[in-house]
Amino acid sequence: MSYDDVEIEDMEWNEELKAYTYPCPCGDLFQITKDDLRLGEEIARCPSCSLYITVIYNIEDFLGDNDKSKNKSLEPAKQQPISVA
Amino acid sequence: MEEAKRDEEESKQQQIWSWGAGTEGQLGTGKLEDEYLPQLLHLPILSSTGRISTLACGGAHVIALTSGGRVFSWGRGTTGQLGHGEMLNSLHPKPVTSLQSYFITHVSAGWSHSGFVSDIGCLFTCGDGSFGQLGHGDYMAQSTPVKVNYFADKFVIQIACALRHSLVLLRGDQVYGFGSGKRGQLGISRDKIKSVNLPQVTCGLEDVEIVSINANGDHSAAISADGHLYTWGRGFTGASDANFPQLSLSSLRCTEAALGWNHILLLTGDGELFMFGGNYHGALCDLEKMSAVKHLSDSSGAVLNKVSGLDGVKVMKIAAGAEHSAIVTVDGAIKTWGWGEHGQLGLGNTDDQTIPQTVSLGPDIQNEEAFFNVYCGSGFTFAISPHEVLSTVEYRSQGSVEFVVRSQSSNSVTYSVEKPETTYSARMPNEKSQIYFNTETIL
Ligand SMILES: [Zn+2]
Repeated sequence: MSYDDVEIEDMEWNEELKAYTYPCPCGDLFQITKDDLRLGEEIARCPSCSLYITVIYNIEDFLGDNDKSKNKSLEPAKQQPISVA
Repeated sequence: MEEAKRDEEESKQQQIWSWGAGTEGQLGTGKLEDEYLPQLLHLPILSSTGRISTLACGGAHVIALTSGGRVFSWGRGTTGQLGHGEMLNSLHPKPVTSLQSYFITHVSAGWSHSGFVSDIGCLFTCGDGSFGQLGHGDYMAQSTPVKVNYFADKFVIQIACALRHSLVLLRGDQVYGFGSGKRGQLGISRDKIKSVNLPQVTCGLEDVEIVSINANGDHSAAISADGHLYTWGRGFTGASDANFPQLSLSSLRCTEAALGWNHILLLTGDGELFMFGGNYHGALCDLEKMSAVKHLSDSSGAVLNKVSGLDGVKVMKIAAGAEHSAIVTVDGAIKTWGWGEHGQLGLGNTDDQTIPQTVSLGPDIQNEEAFFNVYCGSGFTFAISPHEVLSTVEYRSQGSVEFVVRSQSSNSVTYSVEKPETTYSARMPNEKSQIYFNTETIL
């Protein structure tokens, strides 16, 4: 059973993992790559546990999208600036 | 003689156990492994700085507050949530040095951010700020606790850090919210709010005296002085989201609430435990087993279940992880149930449980008369042996039976009791910890 249904806009782009992520109740992150999304995959899995979520998105937003021509509306809403004191 | 004395002191030292998900160092075991059974921790840095009065457990990090107002943290630190001035995990407790000139009275750990309140009502936050959940007016991450200037001329009592939002309770009982508001969890607007990065007043609680706030996942909750529970944010068990605080289950008088990502535990003044939501992993809602238990329902149709399997034993402490629960009963037993895949139930396996199961801390541990405290992070659990904050309990009889309970930081409450033969808990103003006292022994 899918743990939750999550809209793609509520997922965060993780540059290190090169994946969209969402918090998993185990403490790790559910993850799905752009390639997965282009293939119509809608399940984002957690590498640390058996849980998975269903990602709600429009596949057209990802087709023809590659890393050089990014679809602005799907880019992470916020680039996390880092402040180290 | 000397050695015997040292032994005695040693045995009086506060003990800390942890179990469950551990791959970010959150268990404090010095290892990056899950533990299926309670692990007794050796944390010299903590034992040398006095007793721990409370722990706050988040997504994968832990904050320890000592009775002397000092703060330590460990676990995942990749967004600055440990407050150590760097974006790194820490396997062992390290002091939050930038707060050393303050006396901290309250701490909270969210999914990836942290909050600290000082004795003079100042609020500090650090960690992930990408939804505005730090309240600094931006979306920056902070690796060192930064004072929330919005509250500069106000007196903060509590902060509750959740998945992507925060709630703040002021003296004078106003509640504020900031961070992600998509599920209505800030309670600030009828319209859908994506996020706000500065605190805004939660609407609908103006005429209510709020004494405590709670938040986890996309849920928010507050308890009033007369024991009413208000909830807002994501609905439980498929119920619709609430954009403003709703009086839930008005027939219930609760003293404490604990929130998971899909369930809520409620404790009444009589030590009765109720739960709603959680039909997935927090599962107590095995429908066949439930038919025999009392349930209450509120106007929205949410069904509240009295937690079964406790045989009328009173509950003293409650805690909720994302998908599991932990409690301490009046006879000193620690019990857990819910999702168990990472060993977060501490039962030696990865099974889920629908009914509270007793956790053994080891053969030498006498649970009797010991009031353990339990704390849950998303996928892990901590237990600590009693914190002796109690310095005096003074008996006064003025028509009714009254006790004045005073903690070491000289906060005090006057407590009227109905049955002078039982154990009571008292909550100090501005302190999260509770004091337990047995009136029989005092009389
Ligand atoms: Zn997981």
